[in-house]
Amino acid sequence: MSIYEQLRERFDLPEEPPEGEPVVIPVDQHVAFATALKEAGFTLYVTVCAAHFPSVQPKAKKGEEPPPMTTEAWEVATVLRSVGTGSETFAWRVRVERPVVPTLYSLFAGADWQEREQYDLVGVVFENHPDMRRLMMPEDWDGHPLRKDYAIDTRVAPWR
Amino acid sequence: MAVDEGPRNYEHPAYDYLEQMPGLSLAMTTVDKVLEWSATNSLWIFPMATSCCAIEFITAAASRVDIDQIGSVVRPTPRHCDVMIVAGTITVKMAPRVKKLWEQMPEPKWCIAMGSCAISGDFYRDIYSVVPGIDTVVPVDVYIPGCPPNPDQVLLGLQRLQDKIRSQRDGVSTEPETRPETAKMILPANKRVGDPDRDPLLTDAQHDASRNLGVGTNTDRAKDARPIGAITEDEAANVRGTVDDK
Amino acid sequence: MRTFPARVDPHFDIEEYDPEADLMALNMGPQHPSTHGVFRIKLFLDGETIVKAVGYPGYLHRGVEKLCEKLTYVQITPIFDKHDYVAPMTNEQAVNMAFEKLLGLEVPMRARVLRTILAELQRIASHLLWLGTFTLDIGGTIGGGASLMMYTFREREMILDLFEMLTGCRFHYNTHSPGGNRHDIPEGWETAVKAVLDAIEPRLDEYDALCDNDIFLVRTKDIGVLPPDLALELGQTGPVLRGSGIDHDLRRDAPYHAYDLVNVKVAVDDGCDCLARYRVRVAEMRESLRLVRELLTMIPGGPIIGSKPIKSLVQFKAAKGQVYVGIETPRGELGTYLIGGGDQRGAAPYRLKIRPPSLHAVAAVEYLLPGHMLSDVVTVLGSLDPIMGEVDR
Ligand code: SF4
Repeated sequence: MSIYEQLRERFDLPEEPPEGEPVVIPVDQHVAFATALKEAGFTLYVTVCAAHFPSVQPKAKKGEEPPPMTTEAWEVATVLRSVGTGSETFAWRVRVERPVVPTLYSLFAGADWQEREQYDLVGVVFENHPDMRRLMMPEDWDGHPLRKDYAIDTRVAPWR
Repeated sequence: MAVDEGPRNYEHPAYDYLEQMPGLSLAMTTVDKVLEWSATNSLWIFPMATSCCAIEFITAAASRVDIDQIGSVVRPTPRHCDVMIVAGTITVKMAPRVKKLWEQMPEPKWCIAMGSCAISGDFYRDIYSVVPGIDTVVPVDVYIPGCPPNPDQVLLGLQRLQDKIRSQRDGVSTEPETRPETAKMILPANKRVGDPDRDPLLTDAQHDASRNLGVGTNTDRAKDARPIGAITEDEAANVRGTVDDK
Repeated sequence: MRTFPARVDPHFDIEEYDPEADLMALNMGPQHPSTHGVFRIKLFLDGETIVKAVGYPGYLHRGVEKLCEKLTYVQITPIFDKHDYVAPMTNEQAVNMAFEKLLGLEVPMRARVLRTILAELQRIASHLLWLGTFTLDIGGTIGGGASLMMYTFREREMILDLFEMLTGCRFHYNTHSPGGNRHDIPEGWETAVKAVLDAIEPRLDEYDALCDNDIFLVRTKDIGVLPPDLALELGQTGPVLRGSGIDHDLRRDAPYHAYDLVNVKVAVDDGCDCLARYRVRVAEMRESLRLVRELLTMIPGGPIIGSKPIKSLVQFKAAKGQVYVGIETPRGELGTYLIGGGDQRGAAPYRLKIRPPSLHAVAAVEYLLPGHMLSDVVTVLGSLDPIMGEVDR
């Protein structure tokens, strides 16, 4: 039985894994999902990737009313890996409208710095993380650079 | 065995000063010349080695190129050194440290910017966390271009610095060029965010692009989306001022 | 069954430490020759013993991920050269494999074999540089550590010359692209590779002689012990994980490129300390030499880049979806989490997240250092082989 089928028995997942992208689960099942995967042998913490989706105006079809604005959202994808021969990865995402996601620090100590980095750059707060400080930017930095509303063309002030 | 006092078949600047006397050789020179000779031939290097260029710098100090041959030794403490070689990208978090370390070096001191990151920020130039060129933090004497420069270019850069020190001691001015055309060339062709001369339409267009809207514009968001960390108008005037003053 | 000391809590409050103790806070870095770049550690010392260590990366944060959001897929490869500047070849491969997976591109067999050879040569070059700087850290420039560095750089230059023959660059190659490689094998390259392999092989035995050196053993044995369960939980990969006795190597376990054609023997050492990591890396160099020899005999003919070279960006524009691809670089699993822009974004990725093995490696110092002496900091940090360009990106 594949890992996806095992998980489908415990969590309400779609019948088939989605094509070309990780499965989306509700945010309140996030930690339980990770625990189940860890027990199933996915013991190596690989990565967490947060992405910002600003509210945008979708393209209107010709001669139709433009559809309503989308709401601002954050997606946090986590990847775990099984160890040894036949190693494979498993990735899933949670989608939230408030940038708050529970931490996986208690399960995987390696999540510590990765989650701090995502907080620093994307601004997603990981709840119950013991030490949610900035990792990359100086402590007094303003804003979260990888948000889509942070302009790319931003030269820093001269230092002399 | 007696020292061979016959004519030497190779030239070394040090032998210019030797006076042949019966029984011994005597060096006669001026203090200035000794200072010049010692300053140029024992440039101790403080490597401000941050990223990729640092690896090429280590290679320059290692077996194949060997900068020891011109009397340069790498010492990782600022208080022993004469030359700071900035090899690699300098970020806003690192820049205050670079300045502090530069100030800890005793005079006389020189600075070499190695690689395009140290010279101008390379393609990270417009990124929020990168200092666009180390010459905005410390004065630079010699630029070694390349991404990364070959290790032998480091040797060449040091020799250019030696030339510069010699001419400085000989009283030749080595001030940067002041021609206005040059100053104009230094300014970016595309005006940066915060520059008063910048076309506001360009800023808006770039904000749109960077916010990935592509279709339709959300003007509300565009308004709060001031580029955080971009230079203010005063600062922009300052940058232009310094470039023009030169 | 070996027992390990209890795991330290890196977040414990230093205020709660024995108030009688003579505590001192010591800052190491960011400009310190043995931090391999710009890494800062704040150490709390009781006498000369470390009680707590806090790492501060980010002094080389260049915003690569933001930069990738404005560049097209083809333009991204040269940027990726620059973040792990000791092993640029494998970096390029990591990101291009993610693009290929997103776009569903096939890589011709010749390019796959060539990529494997390049990855293995790069592994040797990277480990050689590590060996030189590691002994430099332990021995110091004056103490004789620099001599081994001179030797390893001699061999590393030979491999860089091979890359220069192939691509024209010593360092930042820009030779991979989605769907294949840009530079085909020049004439006489295979012979040159064989000559270099023959030159390096006997010299590896000389490096093994380090294990006969008492000072080296005293400084590395039982220093920086990383238990296997902690190594997994911290997300360690590559030589650090295998030095902790876990038999895991993506080249064998999840083959990519042409690794399914060869039989990769994975070097594992259950010493869990700095010496074990040294042993694993030296064994990996030997294995890589063998692999390159074997692969050189099986380079097939044919094109080096896919039959449909990417002429237009239309192909990219349609790319949608989210993929994760990880490959085994000299430092461990370098992964790319890629969110395709779809038609909304044009030809640039919507979000690109790099999974750097070095970030996890340096994060381990907070667990490894407490209990050790101050002088062990450089040994532990060196044995983890972090490249700060990759940690901070
Ligand atoms: S100039 Fe090029 S090689 Fe040098 S630090 Fe910058 S990116 Fe790296």
